[in-house]
Amino acid sequence: MGLVLVSHSEQLVEGLRAIVAQFGGSDVPVALAGGTPDGRIGTTAPRIETAIRSVLETSAEGALVLLDFGSAMLSLEIALEELDPAERARVRVSDAPLVEGAFLAGVQASTGATLDEVAEAARGWQSLPKLPEA
Amino acid sequence: MAELHLTVIDPAGLHARPAAKVVQVASRFQSRIVLRSGERLVDVKSLIALLGLTIRPLTEITLTAEGPDADDALAALVEELGPAVAPLPDGTAVHP
Repeated sequence: MGLVLVSHSEQLVEGLRAIVAQFGGSDVPVALAGGTPDGRIGTTAPRIETAIRSVLETSAEGALVLLDFGSAMLSLEIALEELDPAERARVRVSDAPLVEGAFLAGVQASTGATLDEVAEAARGWQSLPKLPEA
Repeated sequence: MAELHLTVIDPAGLHARPAAKVVQVASRFQSRIVLRSGERLVDVKSLIALLGLTIRPLTEITLTAEGPDADDALAALVEELGPAVAPLPDGTAVHP
């Protein structure tokens, strides 16, 4: 399975793809939908749809979408509506924060896990320690 | 069953990068592999469980593998961890 990273910023998801490759390895398919086609900060449904389709084409298991905030979800909803039911059934959307979710999902995906298992791994972000224990 | 006692000597502890490697290597094996640190026990095929332990430098850990490829699994994990861990004095594999 593969990941789709959606953000208002193209540079952000490019950097995040490098993180996923570092921790999860380069075998995990990652498609990006960052920024607008004219290089501005924002999200567009066609970019997201293209990214999702590119992962669905290469990964029989499907795609996990991770996104940042606000209009990213609105654009994603529009993109998802463009998919036919069979395609839509192979797409999961993660509620995890983009960076933590992509890190956890990328490592899980690199073990050959199923889409459900990868989605579950991303869901673990809430117990990912960040600040040192008091 | 195979068991191995180690000390984490990486100055950063068992941080994200080695933890991710442990998950990847462990997932290649059928055996159930658990890591014990003090009272806590986690399945090393779960990244979130492993990172949740926040294993610091000089922490003593025990890796236990149970299954048809237990010995190979522990050998592969130790090789992957490399200089991040050191065997404890009684750190040879135990086969009860």
